[in-house]
Amino acid sequence: MAATAHTDEGGSAVRFFSFHLMPYPGLPPEYDGPAWITCPNELFDPALGGEIYNRYIDELVYAEELGFDGVCVNEHHQNAYGIMPSPNLIASILARQTSRVRIAVVGNALPLYDPPTRVAEEFAMIDCISGGRLIAGMVVGGGPEYYSFSLNPAHARERFAEAHDLILRAWTEPGPFEFTGKHYKLRYVNSWPRPLQKPHPEIWIPGVGSLETLEFVAKHRYAYMGIPYFHISVFERMFTMMREACHEEGYEPDPLQLGWLVPIFVAESDAEARRRYEDHFWYFVRRLLPGINISPPGYTSVRSVENIMKNAGTFALNLTSWDEVVEGEYAIVGSPDTVAEKLAANIERLGVGNLLGLFQLGTLPAPDTRRSLELFAAEVMPALRRAYPGTERADLEASAS
Amino acid sequence: MSPLSVTTLDTAVGAVEVHRGGSGGPAPLVYLHSAQGEVPGMALLEELAVTRAVAAPLFPGFGASEGLGAIDDIEDAAFHVLDVLDRLGFAQPDIVGMSLGGWMAVELATRWPDRVRRLVLVNPVGLHVPGAPITEIFGRPLDELAGELIADPEHPLAVLMRAMADMEQHPGDIPFELVRPVLQALAATAKVGWNPYLHNPKLPGRLRRVDAPTLVVHALHDGIVPRAHAEAYVARIPDARLADIDGAAHLAALERPDEVAKLVREHLGD
Repeated sequence: MAATAHTDEGGSAVRFFSFHLMPYPGLPPEYDGPAWITCPNELFDPALGGEIYNRYIDELVYAEELGFDGVCVNEHHQNAYGIMPSPNLIASILARQTSRVRIAVVGNALPLYDPPTRVAEEFAMIDCISGGRLIAGMVVGGGPEYYSFSLNPAHARERFAEAHDLILRAWTEPGPFEFTGKHYKLRYVNSWPRPLQKPHPEIWIPGVGSLETLEFVAKHRYAYMGIPYFHISVFERMFTMMREACHEEGYEPDPLQLGWLVPIFVAESDAEARRRYEDHFWYFVRRLLPGINISPPGYTSVRSVENIMKNAGTFALNLTSWDEVVEGEYAIVGSPDTVAEKLAANIERLGVGNLLGLFQLGTLPAPDTRRSLELFAAEVMPALRRAYPGTERADLEASAS
Repeated sequence: MSPLSVTTLDTAVGAVEVHRGGSGGPAPLVYLHSAQGEVPGMALLEELAVTRAVAAPLFPGFGASEGLGAIDDIEDAAFHVLDVLDRLGFAQPDIVGMSLGGWMAVELATRWPDRVRRLVLVNPVGLHVPGAPITEIFGRPLDELAGELIADPEHPLAVLMRAMADMEQHPGDIPFELVRPVLQALAATAKVGWNPYLHNPKLPGRLRRVDAPTLVVHALHDGIVPRAHAEAYVARIPDARLADIDGAAHLAALERPDEVAKLVREHLGD
């Protein structure tokens, strides 16, 4: 489904989302291994887990109260980086605990669901329960997940494409019908329930610049979410490639087809913001990122690997100083004025219509997270909405389409 | 030593690179390579080609060989090897296979026993032996793998792997032409060996069908495949024996070409 066109007012549309990774903050200082695949699950404390799940859900619900347009959750397995193996469980809670925000699941890793009609069913449930507020994210799954699931990475792209086709058909074609693919053979596809939004929920695809993904998104006129932790110039190149892929398909993409995911922290002053944030950011970079970038054989085509390798040197794991973080805009941190100014400059530079802010990161405690969300909502978001007057109108149109 | 020349063979999945040379012997000899794709310039093959017609096809995904898109698992691989034998015009060659190539050779020999005259398996994968797992090869640092593949740390391949491991710290600086063949080889290996990991659960029950007299070579410093795998092959293949070689690890045919050539010649009756 295409995102909506520019608004009549001339300003491009920007929607504001609060994205939560649900990171595990309790890795002991003496553990210096990866946070993925082999990170021992003895390090997971269920009591702490229960506490932070509830806290993180509260932080997402709070975003609605503060006036955000939407909230985002995502899927990762067997890791400390994000303890949300089932984002659909969290999204279903949010469907009941919120009433207005869009709920973006970014996304379900389609090849990990067998059969993937499970995704069609669960997304449709969330869409019905939330009154049509779901944004359906679909993703190939991270490299580490192909180890964690012992799923053949050389089949990742094929399975993703086939699962996508199956889900779209399950949502839009009358059932029952038979589906005969290479990886999935189902004699009776007849998904109950069907999604409330017609023809189906808005679809987002996250990516790190693989050419196959960009071409896929452009072809289907979906929205592309650039995954963070690279130098800002990488995003610029990635979104340029996305626009080129859309031009190849013969159209100009709407800014709402582009999303930028970035860590954001707001405090009273620039100095105060850095003082409160920096340690938590480094916990995230040095403790939770190691292992995320593993790329199993065949997972990415050779031509895409070549493209991604060009960017690898700027991956956040290589960061050594706060100056580099600021220079490369790996996180937008500062007073409300500073943050508004930097975000406005980058929204313009990247041409994106969706700003996905990671407000909680690493070990950032609840009070700091809430204060940052409040300052963002009270001072940054209004300034940006004034700069992009088409925002609310565009959001309504997106909901209606 | 008799250098091989590079030729191209049309197969059902696409054009395949085949290194060929030598002549003579009671039957042609086919070499099936490991995940290393070690065929080009391989001393063992040049040595064997002194007395034999030798053909070493590169599996799809390796070298210039096309057709990986048509291969999804070890069964597709076995049918591809059969196709290669047909197109080479080899009714009943001797087959030597190392590691992954040994697995493919034995998959062929269980399905079409009359297409193999004699069989040599060097550190073959293909089996699951409880308590003796095959070492993980995917996603491992190259400097660690080097010691498991090659016993001599000064061997050129071990030196190259350690150099590439150093470069992995700065991936943007690695010349892509150096990386491309490694990526393709690993992707091809993943296609047949990701899960089940480098084995076929049905293979043990089929080994009774191998007619060819079989030599299983185990290198004592193999850091990838434990000796129990060689023992399991020998226990289940009707006419099989085991030979140990010292001073070599997993890629024994690369590291000890003279010793392996001697064992091969003895087994083939040359």
